[in-house]
Amino acid sequence: MFNLIENEVLKMISKKRLMFVLAILVVLISVFAYGQNHTAERTKAQLAQRMGISATADWRKLADQQLIDMKNRLDSPYRDEKDKSSLRVRIEQLQYNLDNNINPLEQSAAKFTTKFMEQSIFLFLPLLIIMLAADMVSGESSSGTIKLLLVRNVPRWKILLSKYLTLMILEIVVLFFAFVLSVIISGLFFGLGGWLAPVATGFKLVAGKLDTSAVLNVPQWRYTLMVYSLAYFVAVVVGSISFMISILVKSTAASIGIIMSTVVAGNFISYFLSDWKITRYMFMVNLRLTDYLSGSFQPIEGMTMLFSITVLLGWAVASILVSFVYFIKQDILV
Amino acid sequence: MLKKSMWYSVLAIACAGFIVLASGFYQAIIVTTMLSPQPSSEAPMTQTTEDSTLSSKNPNSVQLLILGDSVAKGTGDENSKGFSGYLPEYFKNNTSKEIIVDNAGIDGLESIGLLEQLQSQRLDKLIADSDIILVSIGGNDIRSILSLNTLAKEDEFKVRLDNYQSSLKLTFKELRNTNPNSIIIFLGLYNPYEKATSLEDARLLTTWNYNTQQLVEEDGKAIFIPTHDLLKFNVGKYIAQDGLHPNSAGYQALSNRISKSVETILTGL
Repeated sequence: MFNLIENEVLKMISKKRLMFVLAILVVLISVFAYGQNHTAERTKAQLAQRMGISATADWRKLADQQLIDMKNRLDSPYRDEKDKSSLRVRIEQLQYNLDNNINPLEQSAAKFTTKFMEQSIFLFLPLLIIMLAADMVSGESSSGTIKLLLVRNVPRWKILLSKYLTLMILEIVVLFFAFVLSVIISGLFFGLGGWLAPVATGFKLVAGKLDTSAVLNVPQWRYTLMVYSLAYFVAVVVGSISFMISILVKSTAASIGIIMSTVVAGNFISYFLSDWKITRYMFMVNLRLTDYLSGSFQPIEGMTMLFSITVLLGWAVASILVSFVYFIKQDILV
Repeated sequence: MLKKSMWYSVLAIACAGFIVLASGFYQAIIVTTMLSPQPSSEAPMTQTTEDSTLSSKNPNSVQLLILGDSVAKGTGDENSKGFSGYLPEYFKNNTSKEIIVDNAGIDGLESIGLLEQLQSQRLDKLIADSDIILVSIGGNDIRSILSLNTLAKEDEFKVRLDNYQSSLKLTFKELRNTNPNSIIIFLGLYNPYEKATSLEDARLLTTWNYNTQQLVEEDGKAIFIPTHDLLKFNVGKYIAQDGLHPNSAGYQALSNRISKSVETILTGL
């Protein structure tokens, strides 16, 4: 079994497809980092123009003022207890910025790395995974090498399992490189720091409204870890589904096409999410798991982190089952 | 050999990565699903139940209640005083009575929020007791349309103005139901972005203030105090670092103006 996986991993590495994925990552992260840098500069210029002062130089004064205001607000007896926890969280963040002399307008490698994954989790990351997964079996079928694989004295399920585990390993490798590359490349633009800054999370949906009563700050590195873990989960789910399609459809091009169009269509379908209930059971609209962390999700009754994870898990398990059953039963002419 | 080492490094990354990611996944689920730490329900209800009889006011004091948004609250003042700090100082010249101030201003409050605040009846006792009520509202209603393009702005402005007017009417009704005698001082809007404002925006602001004034004057015991004229050429002097709220000098200038307007009434109280 171990040897089989080793064999599969080496096969994938020698196929250059992984290198291709990494190259795309390098290019895209560079473009994204440059763009962020550009936007940050423009925001600063606009602020300076609009308020007639250089907001960037005077950010400490501004932050001090905001801090005093927020503390006053916290003491006000007319405020709902509910609002107070989000206020406390913001005070904590601002205090941290002041204590560590971090201008909140400035980017950092930590912020960038997190944001990059938050932005890629629903489309870009799935596409990369599809590139890897979609030809794992169909590639062997179209080139005919599947026969050589199957005539060996190993049960079919073992062969398929080794392929699936290889995919899971490669997904980690892709995420690992996405992380390392964005830290290095954005580090060149914004500096490497920012891993200890507090980030707000813990938003909840109560009765169709965003509930901020349980909001708390976690250090940036923990937040980043959570984002990448969710990204891995998404990668495994999308990987499992494209794995199944690559078994059902013999041609690599067709299997990539099918799964890619499904994922892209998901972005349109999420538009109907609030009215058309059945759409929420599709895997494509549940890929934005990190939105539950950052509190930027559309408040839709019934759509929670646990719901989305359960739906995704259901799809993954079903795909794996179909894959194994089909692959074992399938006739392959030797 | 190279292949072997490559395989081992991939395997090492995968194993370490899997453990780290699994822990992160667990944390992410915990963080988004755990229950709120405290289901506090009785905390904000403190000042309603002390006295069952409305209006138990002391005849030797002038009670001032400040309602509305961040300007009412005093946001932006580097000395954290705002109207609650400066108005009593100016009022002192006209009355010998003790001045008691209650400030119920909330940052970011819109007119509909003020109405809800009043309808919740939490403030009823304070309102019933007060001789003077200072209201500042509307800035947050209009502020968010500034970034729209010209066409959308015009439409959105009309919608906002309508909503604002209807909630303002109800607000006055609510206030008068609880206290028919107090003097209501209503602050007009100013333009903190004086430097970067088109003629079109200036016109919208004037329309807004004009409509507000008409509504306010319909109530016999209310007065509309403009602020636009006072700040127009003094944005640099009276506006705080945040570019939106008055600063200490701004609040003092406004307080001075307000106290002059109600001088005679104060002496008679």
